[in-house]
Amino acid sequence: MAEKNINSVSDALTFLSKESKNIEPCKKEAFRYMGYKSEVKSEEIELLYEKCLEMYKSSAGYKAVYRRVPVKLYGNTVDFGFCTIENESLARNLSQCDSAVVFAATAGAGVDRLIMRCEKLSVVEGMICDCIGSSAIEVWCDEVNKIAVGEEDSKPRFSPGYGGVSLEYQRDILSFLDAERKIGITLNDSLMMSPKKSVTAFIGVKAHFKEKDNEY
Amino acid sequence: MNIKAMLGKQRIYFDGGMGTLLQAAGLKAGELPETWNLTHPDIVRNIHLDYFNAGSNVVSANTFGASSLKFDNLDEIIFAGIKNAKDAAEQCGREDCFVALDVGPLGKMLEPLGDMKFERAVELFSESISIGAKYGADLIIIETMNDAYETKAAVIAAKESCDLPIFVSNVFDENKKLMTGADPKAMIAMLESLRVDAIGMNCSLGPKQMLSVAEDYIKYSSLPVIVNPNAGMPRSVNGKTVFDVDPQEFSDYGVKMAKMGVSVLGGCCGTTPEYIKLLTQKTKDIPYFPPENKNITMVSSYTHAVEIGRVPVLIGERINPTGKSKFKQALRDKNMAYIINEGVSQQEKGVHILDVNVGLPEIDEDEMLTSAVKELQSVLDLPLQLDSVKASSLEKAMRIYNGKPLINSVNGKKESMDTILPLVRKYGGTLIALTIDEGGIPNTAEGRCDIAEKIMLECEKYGIDKKDIIVDPLAMTVSSDDKSGKITLDSVRLIKERLGLKTSLGVSNISFGLPDRGNINALFTSLAFQCGLDCAIMNPYSDEMMRSYYTYLALVGEDKGCMNYIDYAQSHKIEAVTTVSIDKEKESVDDSKLKRAIIKGIKSDAYSAAKAATKTRDALFIINEDIVPALDTVGKRFEEKKMYLPQLLMSAEAASKAFEAVKETMGDKENKAKGKIILATVKGDIHDIGKNIVKTLLENYGYEVIDLGKDVDPETVLEKAQQENIKLVGLSALMTTTTEAMAETVKLINKNMPGTKTVVGGAVLTEEFAEMIGASFYAKDAMETVRYAEEIFS
Repeated sequence: MAEKNINSVSDALTFLSKESKNIEPCKKEAFRYMGYKSEVKSEEIELLYEKCLEMYKSSAGYKAVYRRVPVKLYGNTVDFGFCTIENESLARNLSQCDSAVVFAATAGAGVDRLIMRCEKLSVVEGMICDCIGSSAIEVWCDEVNKIAVGEEDSKPRFSPGYGGVSLEYQRDILSFLDAERKIGITLNDSLMMSPKKSVTAFIGVKAHFKEKDNEY
Repeated sequence: MNIKAMLGKQRIYFDGGMGTLLQAAGLKAGELPETWNLTHPDIVRNIHLDYFNAGSNVVSANTFGASSLKFDNLDEIIFAGIKNAKDAAEQCGREDCFVALDVGPLGKMLEPLGDMKFERAVELFSESISIGAKYGADLIIIETMNDAYETKAAVIAAKESCDLPIFVSNVFDENKKLMTGADPKAMIAMLESLRVDAIGMNCSLGPKQMLSVAEDYIKYSSLPVIVNPNAGMPRSVNGKTVFDVDPQEFSDYGVKMAKMGVSVLGGCCGTTPEYIKLLTQKTKDIPYFPPENKNITMVSSYTHAVEIGRVPVLIGERINPTGKSKFKQALRDKNMAYIINEGVSQQEKGVHILDVNVGLPEIDEDEMLTSAVKELQSVLDLPLQLDSVKASSLEKAMRIYNGKPLINSVNGKKESMDTILPLVRKYGGTLIALTIDEGGIPNTAEGRCDIAEKIMLECEKYGIDKKDIIVDPLAMTVSSDDKSGKITLDSVRLIKERLGLKTSLGVSNISFGLPDRGNINALFTSLAFQCGLDCAIMNPYSDEMMRSYYTYLALVGEDKGCMNYIDYAQSHKIEAVTTVSIDKEKESVDDSKLKRAIIKGIKSDAYSAAKAATKTRDALFIINEDIVPALDTVGKRFEEKKMYLPQLLMSAEAASKAFEAVKETMGDKENKAKGKIILATVKGDIHDIGKNIVKTLLENYGYEVIDLGKDVDPETVLEKAQQENIKLVGLSALMTTTTEAMAETVKLINKNMPGTKTVVGGAVLTEEFAEMIGASFYAKDAMETVRYAEEIFS
């Protein structure tokens, strides 16, 4: 709906939220995060997973904010309007794109509390909840991705930390999205996000007229 | 005219959004709005003036994000912010125009969820608030707060650095919760008790969604309520940001709010002078009703409030070393896990509040109570009753408590009242008031009631309301005085009738010295409830107590459809069955059962099998022949990739249960650790799951682990290592940004303790890196750390 203006101005901030029961963490991914490389599971671990999943679901709450911004490329430098990043991998990721969705998503502070509680009572439950959280936030990001980009042709999402892009840029993204106020994400001194199960990323959206690609 | 004289006498109007208007005037994304106080004072002043002209009584100076975290020129920024707003007030010329210092969140999460220390937050807020007060702000508005703990830090800062009225406004989401979980009642309980002047909500939601939060506030708050909603949700129309609630609709909701009894109305994101103008026009003729004292007794945690005075409330008494040698030892060892476990199991039994008493002559109680409170409030969400005879311990714990605590206790002695009541005035809380004074404990109900009255009158002088006093008329054992039960029950009744105060009893005392105590305690508690007792400090592990509690509620009509009773009875039945099966297992002990339980990782089986084994075998034999070999089997399978980390940990936890069972029969001398190891997650890193995994395994292999926690300074590691003469230090780091701190820690140890080995691990580390920073060993997983420890200590 805002396509017409995408090249001139940033889109308004959009806020999304979803109840925990409506996001199903990917079990396979959760086990992969736990270090499983093959199917050597036991009945006991399956039971414990179910228990942790239930606790996890009653603690999580998903929120996200995103904005669409115009993207300008100058060699390896990408200008998002609100910040400029020089990085080859990012520039490659965003080649052919004239706009990007910038988003921040979180599974909420309740998950941090749950993991903290579990770790003190049972390390293995803490670890399983942690891995469920890692898997679930990806599922939520996929949804946000889908909603924000719709049917348009887009690139895989790119987060600060990938390809040598400094984590410092999380600060710019969070501030641009007013993410502290809107969804409660803050950064600590070592540039880690709180809540821990949070993601910031760019999703490049390909230009509608391919031949106009490198006009800059 | 001053704002305090108006508050609670008439409706007060705040301004609307600032950020959206500054953006429209050219503020760029990422640019700090407060800098405009200096660079574009005219624009800022005109926005304030437009709000005053639209009918606002209070404008918030453009200081929302002004802290020394963001500004080196903080004084200048705040001075200009206040001046712009004051100039606008003068220009407007009305008498009822005021300027608020706007205090927003710091942008950092507080501990334990983040890395900002509570006292650091207080310090930062104090800086800004002192400057705002110095330059003539009329009030402080602490707003857009989405965490209860940070809100408390800001309020304490305001109380300590100025005498201005304090308004506090939080951000609730569509589930009526703050970002970190508090509901409206929890915030009301805490903030009222901190004695601020007005409380409420802003931002996040539009006026429609805010109605229901506002209803809760009106229902439970005795203070004037603030409602400053957004103009609905933003969306994009032709590239411009618009909000979906227009001034007409916004002001219609304003009318509803005014009629509900909201005292302070204004707007937040997306609202403009036009919104405020319509809002004031439409609501100014609606009669104003000041808030009433609701007389509801509440205590709170960081998530919810517990109401005292309706259904009887249970306060778990088990976190108290009196008569418990294991607990005493845990306190001497600073074993926080013990305290946490006591807390969690009492919560599972169904108590509503936890008493926390960690007093022991030989320990530093100030420090211990504070750490216990921090630990407990990081893992469980029950309100706490802070229990100490030392005022300094209480004060420190009250300050860092995340909510409104119960304070145990004050009594009728002058000295006690003189020290405790000022603390409650400053930090908030509900008091347990013991009916004892310089003359001892009266042996009549009238005498005890008199002391309660004396305390109540003294509390009045400190502005502590009746609703925040819970009298404990002191249950004393019937074994030494056969009238004592009756006097206590009569006191409960009389205190309620004559003074209208709530009551609490440490019910377990009644049976001291008698056989079958649970039975007496349970019946006594039911009788006391019948006399009007509001809280019982009790032992939730006693089946008799819990059974009689649920039965009582069912019989007096406080358990709809007897659902709670049925739940209790059914779960109790299941427990009985499990006990039987364990008993059966006892009869057929064999060592393979213990091994199997550990290998499969079943905690309960491992415990019962080990317990059974101790009947026939020597403790060391069980450890060396069953537990250790089982753990070894698991370790090998892990190394061969036939088993993964979670299973390894399950086994480790099962083994730890088995150890527990064995240790219960062992003397201390046999229970010697193989060696002491320090573990820490390095400075700056708050991901400590890897370290915790290593700790679990090491402990199961018989090592004593000194766990320094996460975000640990290199100096702290060194200091502890020197103090304990440590041979092996384990360090973990998860982030690339924190590996530098790891290098520094290793360097410090190598330099000062050349004989001490370091083992490092964590997701981003490599063997090469470990070698480069001079670490003795790189462990790729937890098991490797164990193997390395075996090598070092062999």
